Amino acid sequence: MKLTVDGPSCMGHGRCYLMAPDLLTDDEEGYVTIRDQTIDVPDDQVEAAEDAAGTCPEQAIRLTP
Amino acid sequence: MSDTLSHSETAGRDLGGCPVMHRDFAPAQAAGYHWELADELRETSPVFFNAFAQGYWVFTRHDAVRDIYKTPELFSSESITPWQPDPIYRFVPTQIDAPDHIKYRRIVNPWFSPRAIDAAEPAMRALCRRLVEETAPAGGCDFVTGFALRYPTEAFLSVAGIDPADADLFVPWVEDFFGGFSGDPAGLEPMAEALEGIREYWVAALAERRSDPVPREGDLASHLLHSTFDGRPLTDSELLDMLTVLVLAGLDTTRGTMGYLFQHLAEHPEHRQRLIEEPELIPSAVEEVLRFYTIIFGDGRKVARDAEFHGVQLKQGDMVYGLVSGANRDPRAYERAGEFVIDRERNNHMGFANGPHRCLGMHLARRELQLAVEEWLRIIPDFQVAAAEPLEERGGGAMMTLTRLPLAWEVPS
Repeated sequence: MKLTVDGPSCMGHGRCYLMAPDLLTDDEEGYVTIRDQTIDVPDDQVEAAEDAAGTCPEQAIRLTP
Repeated sequence: MSDTLSHSETAGRDLGGCPVMHRDFAPAQAAGYHWELADELRETSPVFFNAFAQGYWVFTRHDAVRDIYKTPELFSSESITPWQPDPIYRFVPTQIDAPDHIKYRRIVNPWFSPRAIDAAEPAMRALCRRLVEETAPAGGCDFVTGFALRYPTEAFLSVAGIDPADADLFVPWVEDFFGGFSGDPAGLEPMAEALEGIREYWVAALAERRSDPVPREGDLASHLLHSTFDGRPLTDSELLDMLTVLVLAGLDTTRGTMGYLFQHLAEHPEHRQRLIEEPELIPSAVEEVLRFYTIIFGDGRKVARDAEFHGVQLKQGDMVYGLVSGANRDPRAYERAGEFVIDRERNNHMGFANGPHRCLGMHLARRELQLAVEEWLRIIPDFQVAAAEPLEERGGGAMMTLTRLPLAWEVPS
């Protein structure tokens, strides 16, 4: 599974890295570090990734196979 | 509320047909009044010119408020109170614009990151539990004075590495400062004295730490003394402006939100029960509190250049006021906007503002609120509002907060 954060949509609510602390983290400005990036989701982080995508208030997180 | 004066000119200004009103948002009101007012203003006028003080534009809907937050190059944070374009205080980094703003935020952000709050959680939970346990045997309390200001103050001081006993000093300062923040002339002198008290406290704290060769572990003031801005140490005035705003922003806001959260729980036993049975819902309940009971009535900005914005012509130096409280209940932006939905998903409220000035303390505030619900419901699962008279809230020029919230519960004999 891959996880993509759409940079322009991300408003820094900070909910994703709270839901998936072992997958996502915040940068020094309070945004998730991987704006406009796609990362591979390890198998043991799939559930956390789904939680993060589901909680994003801006629907800025996309999961793809 | 039909106090529209005219549709033409005020203070010699051609307002292009925009409605003009004269509204003083400051006086205390019945609890919940400010949300009803924001709802009504939003549904009757997307924008109007308020001829109060020097006059300022008021935007009432979600799209405009969001655009104000997301366009900091047009909307400067030099003043955040529209009735006071040149305030007597200077909050850093709150009132700093790009490019310096982010340099200050980088200094303080790590202190309030989720990791920092995780580390502080055991201490915060312990002092929250102690306060609830001390309160429980009485069978009742004024929640506002007994818990809602005390707990966030102690929690903040603990995060900042200050003795929580100093809460006794900070609590009255915070009261007096926000008594004047709304523009009430009678509150200006106590406000200035409170500011002076807070500044003197930090002057002494900084003096005591200044000669330390390395930063003290877990001590915010000491950390700031060892921080740099563009390669130079922070000046005394920067240090004081930063520490002062942290106190003021961190304590009153959480107190206000906490009051409405517990009023809601006291009046909705079904929601108390749901959170006891499904504690995993507490974070989404807290987000819904931040949306539905947004204590920031509005947020001000100063216009940096002439521009057309949502149908009106703004001039450089004009003040604007975005009614966040109403925007967060805008049915154009939210389904079931006027309902408290305890398990609401994807709650993109602006309770912590939006854009670059998004609340520095949002992770701390969320955690404080979550811990308060967890600990209170564990020790006092069943409680009611016990007020003989209707509840009141402080004027909404600044931040709403209940002036008192008497709660009562059965004490097992």
